[in-house]
Amino acid sequence: MTEVRVPAVTGLPDDAVAGRGSPAPVPRRRGPGGRGPFGTLDWARWGWRQLTSMRTALILLFLLALGSVPGSVLPQQGINPQAVQQYYAAHPALAPWLARFSLFNVFAAPWFAAIYLLLFLSLAGCVIPRTFRLAGSARQQPPRAPRNLSRLPLAVTMTSPLPPDAALARASALLAGKRFRVRTGDGWISAEKGYLREAGNLLFHLALLGLLAAVGMGGLFGYKADRLLVAGQSFGNTVTALDQFRPGRLVSASDLQPFSIALNSFSARYVASGPDMGQPAAFNAHLSYQGQPGAATQHYDLQVNHPLNVDNVKVYLIGHGYAPVFRVTDGTGHVVFNGPVPFIPVSLNGLTSEGVIKVPDAHPQQLGFAGVFLPTTVDVGGKLESAFPSPYRPAVSLVAYAGNLGMNSGVPQSVYQLDTAAMHKLPVKPRPLAPGQSVKLPGGMGTLTFTGYRQWISLAITYDPGQLPALIAAIAALAGLLISFLVRRRRVFVRAGPGTGGGATVEFGGLARTESSETFGAEFATLSRELSTALGAVAPSSDLPSSSNGRE
Amino acid sequence: MLWRPRARRAARVAALGLAGALALGACDSGAIGNSGPGSNGQSFVSGSPGTTVYGGSSGPVAPRVAGTLLSGSKFTLAQDHGHVVVLNFWGSWCTPCRAEAPSLSRLAEHFTPSGVRFLGVDIRDSPATAEAFQRDFRIGYPSLNDPGDEIALDFRDTVPPAGIPTTLVIGRDGRIAARVIGEVSYPGLRGLISQALAQSA
Repeated sequence: MTEVRVPAVTGLPDDAVAGRGSPAPVPRRRGPGGRGPFGTLDWARWGWRQLTSMRTALILLFLLALGSVPGSVLPQQGINPQAVQQYYAAHPALAPWLARFSLFNVFAAPWFAAIYLLLFLSLAGCVIPRTFRLAGSARQQPPRAPRNLSRLPLAVTMTSPLPPDAALARASALLAGKRFRVRTGDGWISAEKGYLREAGNLLFHLALLGLLAAVGMGGLFGYKADRLLVAGQSFGNTVTALDQFRPGRLVSASDLQPFSIALNSFSARYVASGPDMGQPAAFNAHLSYQGQPGAATQHYDLQVNHPLNVDNVKVYLIGHGYAPVFRVTDGTGHVVFNGPVPFIPVSLNGLTSEGVIKVPDAHPQQLGFAGVFLPTTVDVGGKLESAFPSPYRPAVSLVAYAGNLGMNSGVPQSVYQLDTAAMHKLPVKPRPLAPGQSVKLPGGMGTLTFTGYRQWISLAITYDPGQLPALIAAIAALAGLLISFLVRRRRVFVRAGPGTGGGATVEFGGLARTESSETFGAEFATLSRELSTALGAVAPSSDLPSSSNGRE
Repeated sequence: MLWRPRARRAARVAALGLAGALALGACDSGAIGNSGPGSNGQSFVSGSPGTTVYGGSSGPVAPRVAGTLLSGSKFTLAQDHGHVVVLNFWGSWCTPCRAEAPSLSRLAEHFTPSGVRFLGVDIRDSPATAEAFQRDFRIGYPSLNDPGDEIALDFRDTVPPAGIPTTLVIGRDGRIAARVIGEVSYPGLRGLISQALAQSA
């Protein structure tokens, strides 16, 4: 429905009309708010109208996309704080200025928040009033029948032996039977069909709002987390157990679902021959999990793209690798380290993995080791490489350091990097260790034994409560859109006037509100045939506007 | 005829209400996790540091804590009912835990004669590595080994440990009196323990 704007009418001066007996002059209209030429209320109204216009919404959407660019180009604090620290080290003058504009935390920056808040406001302010308007127009009654039905694009005249009132009643019953909304008047009826279109429109707009709300809900209440798990280990879903935790705005530590997962074993199968040799063929992580402490233990085989769904949280298998197991005895004879150390794969062919072992409680000096794990060790021209990712001939090659690891000062370090600034390298003859072998460190520093190896998997834990509502809203929006495109609104009118011999002259006209009137033409022809049968009328005259009393 | 003034106003209020609900996303609720350029590397969540004090007689009741000590024997927190307990979640690989260990050791020496019990909960460590840590920092109090995070899960409904390290001070009545996320300072924790001792005396 288009809005018809009535231009402001300026009143005529009193003395110009006083003598003419015309109605009282229309008072002068000052401004839309009526409070003065253009008051603050009118400015506010103008501002709101600008904000909720489609042009503004598109501009804000463009700004949102533009504002996300620094979030993709620069390292972000919430994703990779180490990279941010490295950026600070590499660009000492530029980095503080970027931080002032929150470019290291774009998605939490106040200006980014302002953009998407305005965008939501604009969309909501546009869609909600439209929804009310559509709800109103869905309840509308058909308009009055025009006086001259022969002016309509489709019109038919017929004579009926029934008196006009009976003819109208019959016509009304027929149209009501065909699910038209009928409005009767004095000598005419008006019927309209196709209000489902407005319902479809309404559904589309409400679903759009629902989609916005679902996305917002997911962002507020959802979280993502990562955890690396070595075979034989288990963990519970608490903040202390996660490697990385990226919560939504309203998520706190007590909102995490309390499940626990244990990795019993992990098996990987690789292509053994042919051009794809060494490529992974299948991964299978055998998990046992509990939905909450004390619940029954269940089992699940986790594979890539087949996530575990526990308590509405999805757990994905993201990666895997090897964790060789070491036992370190220090110079005083105590066992100061005993456990698996995850090594990170650095080459995809053969899964050569690198890692670091930190032994901060060794005496007389703290120890650190950096090395390489090779699942299938081969000697290629004096250099050790891994030929195949399965552990057919595993070996570890390490470099040993002693000194101060820098862990006691409290400054956080990555467990995968060794800071050797305050350490000296120990003169150990470099040779690869097979499982069971050990190396004695010089200077009474201790002994390291490579006792065996295990495998590890990395899990991505995601909780998004807005996912299902967003899907439902998207489907509803599509359904509403389809309905509003496929269903057309059309109107028919019937006028009955007294005809010859106590009968009635019935005029029947129709109008399709949208342009596609071809299908409406066929429907109109069917309707007019049925109407003439119901009224007992003679065969209707042609569709062209004609005078009454068509004779057979 | 479609835009009655009351409907228009209702529409605007609804629009603002919806935007307001979505605007909660802009409010910084002190999100847990990495924050600030000085925070950790990639392998644990240090949490946003801070101390929270709970009302003495109305604080949350601490759950029953039970587990295996590093030495292998069983232990239950209920054994300590009637004493002030300091519960410290730590790991030997966690650098802030190593920085606060001397303070905790001295505080344990200072307060154990007054009847305060110190208990550690060791996360993601093998017993040998944890015992080496305790020897290194001369930690006199025992620690539970919690490889499956069961003890941390037990605290989820009351005062969850929201990062490593986390220190909880539990009063004599079994109610949690305070929580410190991050490295504790000697004077800070001493104040909290003294407060707990004075409260339910």
